[in-house]
Amino acid sequence: MTLRAERIGLLALPGLSFLAIVYALPLFMLLLKSLQIDGQFSLAEYQLFFADEFSRSVLWRTIRVALLTTLLALAIAYPTAIAMARAKGIWLSVFLVAMVLPMSVGVIVKAFAWTIIFRTRGVLNDVLMSLGITDAPVRMLFTETALIIGAANVFLPFMVLPIYAVLRQMDSRLPEAAASLGATPVFRFFNVTLPLSLPGVVAGSAFTFSLAISMYVIPSLIVGERQQTLSMLTARSFLYLRDEALGATISSILLVIAISVVLGSSWLAARLGARQ
Amino acid sequence: MTKPVRSDKGQRTYLDVVHVGKAFKGTTVMSGMDFRVAQGELVSLLGPSGCGKTTLLRIIAGLTGADTGDVVLDGRNITSLPAHKRNVSVVFQSYALFPHLSVAENVAFGLRARGAAKGDTGPSVTEALSLVRMSDFADRPIAALSGGQQQRVAVARALIVNPVLLLLDEPFSALDRKLRETMQVELKSLLRDRNMTAIFVTHDQDEAMGVSDRIAVMNAGQIEQFAAPAELYARPKTAFVMDFVGLSTRLAGRVTQVQADQIQIETAHGAVTANSTLPVGTHVTIGVRPELIAPQAGENTLEVTLTDAMVLGSKTLLHGAASEPDKLICELPGMPGGMSRGDTVTFGWSVADTLVYEVTS
Repeated sequence: MTLRAERIGLLALPGLSFLAIVYALPLFMLLLKSLQIDGQFSLAEYQLFFADEFSRSVLWRTIRVALLTTLLALAIAYPTAIAMARAKGIWLSVFLVAMVLPMSVGVIVKAFAWTIIFRTRGVLNDVLMSLGITDAPVRMLFTETALIIGAANVFLPFMVLPIYAVLRQMDSRLPEAAASLGATPVFRFFNVTLPLSLPGVVAGSAFTFSLAISMYVIPSLIVGERQQTLSMLTARSFLYLRDEALGATISSILLVIAISVVLGSSWLAARLGARQ
Repeated sequence: MTKPVRSDKGQRTYLDVVHVGKAFKGTTVMSGMDFRVAQGELVSLLGPSGCGKTTLLRIIAGLTGADTGDVVLDGRNITSLPAHKRNVSVVFQSYALFPHLSVAENVAFGLRARGAAKGDTGPSVTEALSLVRMSDFADRPIAALSGGQQQRVAVARALIVNPVLLLLDEPFSALDRKLRETMQVELKSLLRDRNMTAIFVTHDQDEAMGVSDRIAVMNAGQIEQFAAPAELYARPKTAFVMDFVGLSTRLAGRVTQVQADQIQIETAHGAVTANSTLPVGTHVTIGVRPELIAPQAGENTLEVTLTDAMVLGSKTLLHGAASEPDKLICELPGMPGGMSRGDTVTFGWSVADTLVYEVTS
């Protein structure tokens, strides 16, 4: 490294030291806590966690909800990102504002707004009943489905924006070249647009999954204590049970899942990107 | 890639663009465009940017829809046929190679789009790559290729499907000068061998002259002249064509005298005689190709003060002092020497070589 590059490296120092003190150090200490019993190294907390059927069901639910949230967000985001990538002028601004503005409304406000739609005598049930689709109101609030819908709503921009960014960069001549070579719109999509947008899909999915697996406010507000997730369990261990070791263990499990997803997706993105 | 049996070059209309009009957001790009190409012909659309040449190419390819008029190809009206059903290949300026596919996969794309299984494209791809001398690069990623190599792959990819028509949008503009000339020669003989009908879009007149049987010079959505390169250069129909194709001495003037079939024109640099019957008082532009001017008195003679004598090796260009839009240029073969800025030189040329255009606006 040249002297100049070293000096430029110094610019990263404030950010790095901030992260080290505020993020890495406490997290490391927390991790240590989950591996110790009375100052001795031990995996007992983990054995305890995985032996407990309730803990396992919470772990499984957390992963399932995060996966389904990611899938739902992807299904909604992909066509949106295509439309945005092709939008021009005022329409592009409308799309971008529509994506970013909801992020400024707090999750709590959103969650209470959803209850108007989803509650037993809410708007959605009124519509379903007036259309004769159901006779009695369907229970929607406090269900996993409502949680997934709500989470997908909150995390949608994190899925749309990376896909949009990749599609926007794509040379618009590529689909045209494909068409002139005899490729139908469907063939074009699966052989040109989709493969070229995969790095965006991977990035967006990694963002959304990481956020969804560690979300706390959204499940607390939508499903409450009925269906716990790992984050809620962590909070309960620290706040109510005062079981720091259990809290640290669950946090560490969450962290491992998140890190695997980030590493896995970076590897996937690099592999997909290397060909381009 | 079997060699197609088509060889009626120049015999009948193969591509017929009939009265095509196109507007973008209310701005008319072209209207009443008529353009005919015979089978096996290599044709160029030549013009400045914004003249509508790329729009015409895209309409023929089916990538842009025409507002009015028809596109007829080989007796079939394809006006409303989508691009993927036309069998018209396009080579783009940026080549538009698929960055996620290898060289061989790019070339095989058209066959796969037509339903060929992945394993069945091998022999055709090998043949297409050897045609453009890229056989050793089959497994390379696109990013590892130079500009010239990318262009070869783009051509192989376009030709492998045996298109009924090949369209090339500024195919050489991304290459440096030496490579561009090599590729022009190579591509031209490749297309000739295959009796391919091809349309080049270009703003480079040398390129158009080099590769085409005929050139359509376009300006503001109109074809000003559609003729063989020699005809275009020797007898440009309009002042625009004269200016756009090749250099010329060019003077603005007014007709002062009419005698038999000759007119006298008063210009800022002296009187000029030309073959024409335009009436007295007409504002005209006269032009002379620079190599038709000799440094001695002729039927038309002007005394010129040199601003520059550019020695280019095979030729020397003398630039005379003139105010825009007038231009005084004489081209002498070789390197005569002994002339420099500030010298007074005689420009002489014949009446027959004097081009005259009425100024309409």
